[in-house]
Amino acid sequence: MSGCPGSKTIDFSANANQEGSETGKRPSQLRQWPIQFHLVSPQAPYFQGRDILLAADCTAFALGDFHKDYLKGKSLAIACPKLDSDQDVYIEKIKSLIDDAKINTLSVMIMQVPCCFGLAQIAKEGAEKASRKIPVKQIVVGLEGNILSEEWI
Amino acid sequence: MKDILTRDIRKVIDDCPEVGRILEEYKIGCAPCSVGSCLLKDVVGIHNLDPQQEATLMYRIEKAIYPSRNIKPPVVDPTKKVEPKKLTYSPPVKKLVDEHVLIKRLLALVPAIIEFTEKSPKVDKALILNCVDFIRTYADKYHHMKEEDILFKYVDEKSEIIQIMYKDHITGRNHVKQVVEGAETGNKAQIKEHLFGYRDLLTQHIKKEDEILYPWIDRQLSTAQVGEMFRRCNEADASVGDALPKKYEAFIQELERKLLKEVK
Repeated sequence: MSGCPGSKTIDFSANANQEGSETGKRPSQLRQWPIQFHLVSPQAPYFQGRDILLAADCTAFALGDFHKDYLKGKSLAIACPKLDSDQDVYIEKIKSLIDDAKINTLSVMIMQVPCCFGLAQIAKEGAEKASRKIPVKQIVVGLEGNILSEEWI
Repeated sequence: MKDILTRDIRKVIDDCPEVGRILEEYKIGCAPCSVGSCLLKDVVGIHNLDPQQEATLMYRIEKAIYPSRNIKPPVVDPTKKVEPKKLTYSPPVKKLVDEHVLIKRLLALVPAIIEFTEKSPKVDKALILNCVDFIRTYADKYHHMKEEDILFKYVDEKSEIIQIMYKDHITGRNHVKQVVEGAETGNKAQIKEHLFGYRDLLTQHIKKEDEILYPWIDRQLSTAQVGEMFRRCNEADASVGDALPKKYEAFIQELERKLLKEVK
């Protein structure tokens, strides 16, 4: 099969829900609205001085423990580097989050498909344009919801 | 096995030197440690070995201590290749690792400093005191203080590994005092003994930090703590200004140039 790995058809339903506990209810760790990166403002109170998770749209669906392990304690923005338009705005928003909202850290969560690395590139460009420096982390999620890498960039 | 895990590593190695040799094979350098009060379980835990490696190591240690005991060897999958772990650091810890590089450049010059001192008719007091100034200001005040005031506060300061680091800092400061005394009185032997003592101490100290302590601390830090520590380290650096690291980098460059020319 050839073509774009980001839109290639793969069925891994046979592997679904192989392990893990499903007992008890898991509360949402979302503490804000809106979340789409075009809709959020860096001036929003929930960004000021916080740890930010910039997640590619697909990650929350792929990663079973997205809320518990990655969203908890963070403010969120979501985006798709393949389909979203006007992505220059995203670079300016990251710069503003760092310089104006004085965020503590930025974690960028992307899928393993090549097009998704565009979001990490946007985050890097925004961070480089900012005058403040903060730690930026890249987390790569596999198609089957496993964490492939997690490193400071 | 539980009783061995909670014993001081020094006592374990003294009772069974083979344990020290086994640990060396896994690049766990407890045998030459002067303190050795870490518990075996902490020593193994802090090195973050691959699960297969850790199981084999523990089996070999138990077998070395109790050769007649019937212990089942761990099941190791030979098809599972153990890749050496790549050292990665969070940004504030990486900055501390980078600062080690300049300190290691001074340590590398110590034999040349001693050779130059021994060849000179009398001690070049300014040279020795300038090296002491680098150690006291750059290595100790600028670098070690960030460790003591910021980094170590994020873990249990009473843990053995942190206590060993504090002890190394104190031992290093005592070597430096002796070097100053040697420079003041023109005692070349005293300078040689304590400058080499400082070099040997710091070489091991930096290796322990880069390879063991810093990755261990990083594994315990939350993302929020990394951000906070980054900010606090930047504030500490800003309080002394950009000029200080630049001044000492220029000093090391000049010292390298001078000693490479004088000592051949």
